[in-house]
Amino acid sequence: MVALQRHALPFPRRIGVPKALGRLRSGKALLVVAGVMILAAATLQVNQFSLSASTGYQIDNLNTLRAAKQAENHQLEAEVAQLSSLARVDWEARVNLHMVPPTRKLYITVNQPVPQGEALPTRFLPGPTTTAGAAQQRDSIWKRLLKLLPF
Amino acid sequence: MFGQRGRMNARLTTLALLIALSGAALAARVAYIQVVDARHYTARANDEHYGQEVVRAPRGAILDRNGYPLATTVDAWDVYVNRADWQDTAVAQKAAAVIAPVIGQTPDSLISEVRKQATGLYLAYGGLDFNKGNTLRDVTAPGLRMVQTTKRFYPEGDLASTLLGFVGRDHVGLTGIEADFDRELGGIPGTIYFVHDSIGNKIAFGSERIGEQPKAGGNITLTIDRYIQRLVENELDAQIAKTGALGGSIIVMDPHTGEVLAMASRPGFKLSQLNLNTANPLLFRNRAVTDVYEPGSVFKTLTSAAAIDLGLVTPQSTYVDTGAAVIGTSVIRNWDYSVNGRTTVTQILQRSLNTGAVWMSGLLGPDNFYHYVKQFGIGTATGIGLGGEPDGLVRTNQDPAWSPVDLADNSFGQGIAATPLQVITAISSLANGGKLMRPYIVKEMDTPAGPRTFSPVEVRQVVKPQTASAVADMMNQVVEGVVGELAAIKGYHVAGKTGTTTGATLADGTVHNGNVASFIGFAPVNDPKMIMLVKLDYKDDKLGGEFAAPVFHDLAPSILAYLGVQPNGPQLVATGP
Repeated sequence: MVALQRHALPFPRRIGVPKALGRLRSGKALLVVAGVMILAAATLQVNQFSLSASTGYQIDNLNTLRAAKQAENHQLEAEVAQLSSLARVDWEARVNLHMVPPTRKLYITVNQPVPQGEALPTRFLPGPTTTAGAAQQRDSIWKRLLKLLPF
Repeated sequence: MFGQRGRMNARLTTLALLIALSGAALAARVAYIQVVDARHYTARANDEHYGQEVVRAPRGAILDRNGYPLATTVDAWDVYVNRADWQDTAVAQKAAAVIAPVIGQTPDSLISEVRKQATGLYLAYGGLDFNKGNTLRDVTAPGLRMVQTTKRFYPEGDLASTLLGFVGRDHVGLTGIEADFDRELGGIPGTIYFVHDSIGNKIAFGSERIGEQPKAGGNITLTIDRYIQRLVENELDAQIAKTGALGGSIIVMDPHTGEVLAMASRPGFKLSQLNLNTANPLLFRNRAVTDVYEPGSVFKTLTSAAAIDLGLVTPQSTYVDTGAAVIGTSVIRNWDYSVNGRTTVTQILQRSLNTGAVWMSGLLGPDNFYHYVKQFGIGTATGIGLGGEPDGLVRTNQDPAWSPVDLADNSFGQGIAATPLQVITAISSLANGGKLMRPYIVKEMDTPAGPRTFSPVEVRQVVKPQTASAVADMMNQVVEGVVGELAAIKGYHVAGKTGTTTGATLADGTVHNGNVASFIGFAPVNDPKMIMLVKLDYKDDKLGGEFAAPVFHDLAPSILAYLGVQPNGPQLVATGP
């Protein structure tokens, strides 16, 4: 009896609920929405996987490219070293410039410092000196802000 | 009925308890595996799925004192052929036609070489030039496998080959500096973990992670100067070719610091033509460091220094040379059988008189003589840090088989054996105010803790500075006080001493009954900038003054000019040969 009485109670009045919402409550509409959402989620996931794979492939390619460039760099350094070798200088002097070993040596004192040329591959040169200013320039804005803090 | 129900309840309770206990045990076990023992099982799972590959660290370079690379590493390709893919002759010929020209072979020879191998991969060419390899990698050839690798590259060609040594296919140093400093040059290999399939092959796009990053090997900077080294090697080769020597060694040092500026020895090997399958390992030795010889008359400088240092003689002291010194039943004569009468100590060195050296050794006595021999570092490895350096051979009066004849022989450098490096180090002390310096060849080395620089090390003060100066003046008289002395050079005051002894070393290391002709000299006398030892092995009688001294004469002016040592006074123009 109690249950019957409750069923007999009037439903509360829904004020301002659009009709479209009401239609959504119907089973078909819910199914459509769920389907669309599942499809969107699946597409998003596929898209994410695709992006991830594509990025991975790009990273792999870039690593290969970097290795190749490094190898090329080493080759160029070796070439510089070979071109500055004494054997090659000697060969150039004899063959191309038709020079011969000296039979008479002149000793001239030159009171000037030796010019500072860098004939060596950079790999064999001393590394750049890092100054405090340069290091600060490379720091991100956040690091610089954090450095301003008193603690 | 009630009783039955009660028993039923008890059984159910027991069963429930058993199930609950089993569940609890399982849960505990799962928790133990997943929480407590998680690392162990993770590692086992990783072992199951991941393989590991050792990544070789890039090998450091060997540089000369000015930073020019003498040996460095470049990228290269190893070319393999998969035997299984060349079963079909037509396929093999097509592929070989593409591969063979790039690796310097004919297609037919390549096919026959590959087919000698039963299965697997055949290494057709190791260390192919990087650019050539790139070209080959882009072509389509069945069975071709390219593996990127590195190889040692020598920009200065075959320069200092016996000193530098070489590495094996696994990039481990086998001889020379490469072997002696392999740990520093080689770096620390890294590890890459990768997902593999059931038979252990790497899965192409499987996950990969780096275990330990490879740490590149450090560069080693030598004290060697490539310019001086080249001068020395060219001159040594020329003299060997000109005079038919069996071989020889030249060492150039800075007497004040002990830095080795050049070190060459022959016979040796050419890095550009090195084939480990056919090479004679005896040619890999750095003979200037590993081989001993009787120093001969250059040793008279040390005997004189000892006698002067103890105040027993002065450069002007005299003795009467009768042409023979009698020790027991043995008679020792001068090298030219000369009789010189009253002779000064300076003249002993100028004329290289054996009897004079015997006379001084008699004044010294065995205890003093061998004390000074030891002080000069003869009989002890110099500690230069190069492999295979022996102590040398000195029989002293403390040894059971010693006799007074040994003392007499030793006084003029016979019956005693030292390496060229020991001899030049000992005599360097006379050019350095009596201070014996430890020779060194590595100037700087990159280590994980940062660059390590080596400084000159003074071993000891062997003789007083005045003694060293007196002997240096006497040695100057040897070069400049004798007409026709072939070591003299225009524009510089040179101190030197010749040496000739028996027992030349052949290429196979055996001692031949020929002569060792040697000369040691330094310049300028008042402030020596370089000291040079020239040693040449002959199968017949050759004199140091005639064959080794001219090498010094040819080399010294160029080296001194290169070192910035200005010639003296008016002789600003030196006329060469």
